[in-house]
Amino acid sequence: MTGVREPVSQRKARSLALAGFLSFLAVWCVLSYGGILPEVILPSPTEVLRAFPALHFEEALVRSAGWSLYRVGMGFLLSAAVAIPLGLLMGTFPKVKHFLAPLVDPLRFLPISALVPLFLVWFGIEEAMKIMLLFVGTFVYLLPLVVEAVENVEDVYLQTAVTLGASRGQLVRHVLVPGSLPAIGEALRVMNGIGWTYVILAEIVNARYGLGHLITVAGKRSHVDQIFAGVLVILFIGVVTDWMIRLANQQLFAWKR
Amino acid sequence: MARQLTPLGRVLLVLSGLALLGYGLHKYGVLDRVAALVAPDKRAEGTVSRDDFGAPSGSPSAVPAGVTPGSTRPVGGGTRLSRPIRVAIVTWGGYAGGIVANRGFAPNRNSVFGKEFDVEVELLVIDDFEKSRDAFRAGGDKGGVDIMWSTVDAYSLEYGGLARLKPKAFLQYDWSRGGDAIAVDASIKSVADLRGKKLACAEATPSHYFALYALTQGGLTNRDVEWVFTTSAVEAANVFKAGRVDAAVSWSPDVYIAARERQGGHILASTREASNLIADIFVARGDFIEQHPEDLRRFVGGWLKGVELANANPDATAALLAKSFSGIGLEDAKGMLQDVKLPTYAENRAFFDPEGSLANYHTIYKTSQGIWRKIGKVKDVYEPYQTVDTRFMDAAAQWFPKASEPAAAEFQFTAAPRGNAAPILTKTVSIYFPSGSATLDENAKAVLDTQVVDLAATFGSAYLRIAGNTDNVGSPETNQRLSRARAEAVTRFLVSKGFDRNKFEVVGNGPNKPVASNDTDEGRAKNRRTDFEVLPR
Repeated sequence: MTGVREPVSQRKARSLALAGFLSFLAVWCVLSYGGILPEVILPSPTEVLRAFPALHFEEALVRSAGWSLYRVGMGFLLSAAVAIPLGLLMGTFPKVKHFLAPLVDPLRFLPISALVPLFLVWFGIEEAMKIMLLFVGTFVYLLPLVVEAVENVEDVYLQTAVTLGASRGQLVRHVLVPGSLPAIGEALRVMNGIGWTYVILAEIVNARYGLGHLITVAGKRSHVDQIFAGVLVILFIGVVTDWMIRLANQQLFAWKR
Repeated sequence: MARQLTPLGRVLLVLSGLALLGYGLHKYGVLDRVAALVAPDKRAEGTVSRDDFGAPSGSPSAVPAGVTPGSTRPVGGGTRLSRPIRVAIVTWGGYAGGIVANRGFAPNRNSVFGKEFDVEVELLVIDDFEKSRDAFRAGGDKGGVDIMWSTVDAYSLEYGGLARLKPKAFLQYDWSRGGDAIAVDASIKSVADLRGKKLACAEATPSHYFALYALTQGGLTNRDVEWVFTTSAVEAANVFKAGRVDAAVSWSPDVYIAARERQGGHILASTREASNLIADIFVARGDFIEQHPEDLRRFVGGWLKGVELANANPDATAALLAKSFSGIGLEDAKGMLQDVKLPTYAENRAFFDPEGSLANYHTIYKTSQGIWRKIGKVKDVYEPYQTVDTRFMDAAAQWFPKASEPAAAEFQFTAAPRGNAAPILTKTVSIYFPSGSATLDENAKAVLDTQVVDLAATFGSAYLRIAGNTDNVGSPETNQRLSRARAEAVTRFLVSKGFDRNKFEVVGNGPNKPVASNDTDEGRAKNRRTDFEVLPR
């Protein structure tokens, strides 16, 4: 069973990632240039590249990316601002958790698209509605992860702290919060990803700029190359923001490793 | 004695330096230029006005000399298909003809298609627009479809993206007749009231096209309203229902429900009046046409036989629709059938003939393409003849021997006085008459051709009140008489184009309804006009 959980050097990890990326590109090239899938279904890399100038100069690609980034970012921040304190509370005090469970647990199965009519009434058709959709979309996943992070802090630490005479406030401040933060940081990283998957839905109404909106309109015009280009931009932003959050986690929770 | 700057001081110094630099760059336009390069705005939309509709009926879709479109070759060759023809449809009453001919959605030997036309058809409900296009791109051999639905206005929008598949329109299965509508709040009584209002609709869809048509004919342009674009028609109805916009264009039944549920909400106009605007058509893949022309010919024949049956037996048809579409009850199905008109074989022939009906495939394709182009949604221009293939329609003639008999007019107009019925919209046209005369010169006829014939044809089911107006020069009695005589002349011209005389109500207002001051030359010129008021039946 060699290789199982075998540590990989950073350098090797990088070259593996590069190899993975190149093989993905190779598969794309073979499928498209090789004529295995027609170009109206899978556009070739050159075609997707050629879609960018039009998107940039005529469809305001950069502004769209900026607006989508803003919406996902605000939804993300809001969701973190509510879910982390609430999750800490629920993880720390099981009574609170049981009280809120019937409210929170079913939410995860909520089809967010069904909320759109309601959100139009509550939050209007401007940015608030889009950000709230992204907030709810990520919040329902984030909250259980935060609760779990708190619950996963090992009892040993709590007991030691109790033995040392820690008060309730000290237990939370000095044991549960720092103990759960690394896992919460990881959860936030996942949330960023989920937020981007909701961006098309969030921009369903009155989005003058936005990557989701751009992709939808390209679809109405049957411009598959532009759809792929839009998706590529979302993937790119997703990967970069993911990397940034991971870097922040590494810096903040270096002691964890 | 030099003093060391504190760190805070240094930061402040750098910040103010940057601020100065930024201000300077902004002041001399450098920032704007950088922004235009790094993050350019969308290409500005052109202004869509009424002049973009109603291309002169003489010139649409002329095939240039020396060009033989593929569609002039006779139907022949190819092989018979060994599987059912796969057709993408949506939950909509317009498919009644095919559903009747197929007795449901599944391939069925024991049906009109199977027994009379020896062809198997499978109807696949794909309500999501983009999914239906994915299926069309994949093709019937690869789990997708051979034939997809579209509307002529949407087809001209997406043709460029699909051009590599060489798709061809070959059959019109319905006219939307009430299927698309504009819901408005209590304050809006006519199209002109929409000025400055918030109007929701799904961008780049038939709703959008309908909105542009109604706005421009009512004297506005696309810049006179605040657009709220949504992804789908359902969302547009929801935005209206939520009270966030003043008006919304959407489809049945959502738009009617939204109008009912919002306090003071009502329907301003629908395709029941604009009866010849949204045409639903079938489009086949180029490779399918190439390989299986005989199957397509039989499909056309069977479908239009189904249309005859459906038109003859509305109750049985509604029952079959209710049974076939999931989530549709009998009452819903009856409503769905009332929102559409299923054109017969003869009507299809006229529709695809550039010289046929006044509002036909070619005029709608060309007009809609021009409009999408103007607002930056279409880049490559295609001539209508490149996008259509009528050989199958022609070759299906053997099954419809009665098609050459003159058809009864679709709408019956009675000369009943329309009284004070409020117009949906008023199109104001300046028609030049020589002083004191009610004779139309060639110039005036050309204006009528472009501005009014299309309006009257598109609002096929509606009455048209033709009101002549003058300035205040001369005696009121003479002016009144003259304005009426001029409106009569306009009416006679329109009747000569094939319209029912009873469609028109003639009014001579004389100088009594000025729209501008009679004290200036410009004002008087504005007052010398003919108003065309569209009145719902």
